[in-house]
Amino acid sequence: MAGSREDGEILRREKNARKSKVAEKGNALRSGSKALAGKKSAEAPPETAARAKRLFGLKKWRYIAINTFLIFHILAISCWCMPLSSPFIAVCRDALRPYFVWSGLFQSWDMFSPLPKATNSYLEALVLYKDGSTKIWSFPRMEQLTLTEKYSKERYRKFVETILDNANAALWPDVARYVARLPEIRAGQPQKVMLVVKWSDIVRQPDGTFTRAPWDEHVFYSYDVKPEDLQ
Amino acid sequence: MTGKSFVEAWNEFFFAEQSPIPMALFRIVYGMAVLATLLLTREDWIAWYGPHAWVSLRTMQAFEPGPRLNLFTVMPASVFWVQALFWVFAASAACLTIGFLTRLNSVVVYICLASIQQRNLFILHGGDTFLRVAGFFLIFSAAGAALSVDRLIRIWRGKEGVEIQPRRPWAQRMIQFELSLMYFVGFCWKVAGAMWVQGTALSYIYRLDELQRFPLPSWFLNETLMKLATWFTLVLEFALGVLIWIRELRYYLLAIGLLFHLSIEYSMNVPMFEWDILTAYVLFIDAADLKRFWNRISGRVGLFLGERITVIYDGGSERLRRIANLLGALDIFGRLRLTDSRDLGTPSGVDTKAARNEIVVMTQSGTQPRFDGMRRVAAVVPLMWPIFVALSIRRLWTS
Repeated sequence: MAGSREDGEILRREKNARKSKVAEKGNALRSGSKALAGKKSAEAPPETAARAKRLFGLKKWRYIAINTFLIFHILAISCWCMPLSSPFIAVCRDALRPYFVWSGLFQSWDMFSPLPKATNSYLEALVLYKDGSTKIWSFPRMEQLTLTEKYSKERYRKFVETILDNANAALWPDVARYVARLPEIRAGQPQKVMLVVKWSDIVRQPDGTFTRAPWDEHVFYSYDVKPEDLQ
Repeated sequence: MTGKSFVEAWNEFFFAEQSPIPMALFRIVYGMAVLATLLLTREDWIAWYGPHAWVSLRTMQAFEPGPRLNLFTVMPASVFWVQALFWVFAASAACLTIGFLTRLNSVVVYICLASIQQRNLFILHGGDTFLRVAGFFLIFSAAGAALSVDRLIRIWRGKEGVEIQPRRPWAQRMIQFELSLMYFVGFCWKVAGAMWVQGTALSYIYRLDELQRFPLPSWFLNETLMKLATWFTLVLEFALGVLIWIRELRYYLLAIGLLFHLSIEYSMNVPMFEWDILTAYVLFIDAADLKRFWNRISGRVGLFLGERITVIYDGGSERLRRIANLLGALDIFGRLRLTDSRDLGTPSGVDTKAARNEIVVMTQSGTQPRFDGMRRVAAVVPLMWPIFVALSIRRLWTS
């Protein structure tokens, strides 16, 4: 029993000694008066050092794995987001899609391009209640918000931009339902929700100046509210 | 360039060890950007991601089919679970910022970030995308190797000394690559648009009501200046995408890029986009330059923190050496003079026996008793101010 305790003590001391060697290796010290240099680590045999240098201290399999990872991702990401339209690139993107979409590496960097928006627009919901009355509910409009509200509500700007794109028409029922479910709307028994876009084009005049066209509006979607929508 | 020299350049670029400080700084600003993004949307968490959100999960999945890294698809659809996810996310982002369990938290942050973005792809801007893709490579980096709680723990456990060990920067390079690719691809998209080539793009953008933040002088909106600004944007995006890799041009481009993003932050309402992108600028700064800059700052700030204090420890004692190393790592303003008594001998006036068992703190007024000494040390080391407060309360209590 005593022997095993002594053995344990010896092992513990050896372990501590090893640890302190590691600590001293990169140890203590800032230059000058701050602290003092630790012991230098023992020189590695030249062959080992050369090998370590060749693979930057990495085991061969690890070096190969990291390089494979790097080369794959550099090529794949470039292929994914460069605005090239060759058939080969299209095939590559199709092959990459499952991985990119799953992992979250999909990306596009087409901010304000190729053509920036040239229309001021905003979105309203026209709500028709069962008693025949109507109410207009306006999505947050950035130009009407305070600075702090702009920071927290900016997502609505992006969302409205998305909704107004006809390619995203599948979102319109969800949006209409959400409006119908809003506490201040639901209380009045909404029967129909209509999404209305109001817009004014920014027009470039022949003399190079810019003017705003008159505001126009258009009901682009109408949704009949079902009782289960309000649950 | 021959094949051999290409391989050498590749290895040098991705694998030559360098200071992990730029990566650690990136981790800190990245974590802060993620936290800010979360807090800014706090009141709309349920509106965007809840069980009855603006876009339902079913609609989202119909729109973007296929398996995705998205916790919303596997967790119960209830307000409680959504709130819980966000609070776990925020706590993890805070831990990542301070560098506690860095690797684990970088994974958690990435999964949560990917999940909320996958849950609603219709409200994202470029900054969100950048945070996501940078977060992916952050997982593989040595982000916790410096300026982190993890490092303090390693020092305390005797696994590391005060000197920050260099690391292989391949994951950092991938984030740098993402940033430069973002600018270059942005440039490619823009030159494909007639408005950008003709120089009228910014004239339209600055007339969008929803994007206006602070007012711009009317003279700035004149046609000539708008054209120049539009073309300058193209040139800058190309330069930040390609020329940033040329060392001699890098800092000039980073400075211009910084001013460019700050000017957008002033004039346009795209919250967090500029800050998200700017986080990665720190990765392009050489560690040696960061150190020089920090030395200049700490030299000035240090003057306000009080006199330098000499801390004497017996380097032969593992425990005392670890404490000294820990103090050295915490002393970011260089207010401590850590001295191994084995090298200088025990100074006069110091009890030799005591110096072998504990840290000795010496100020201009002489040797300080144990707790008082530690309190004096904590007073001049800002990262130890909570300890200073605790020791001061203890002192008041005992007196």
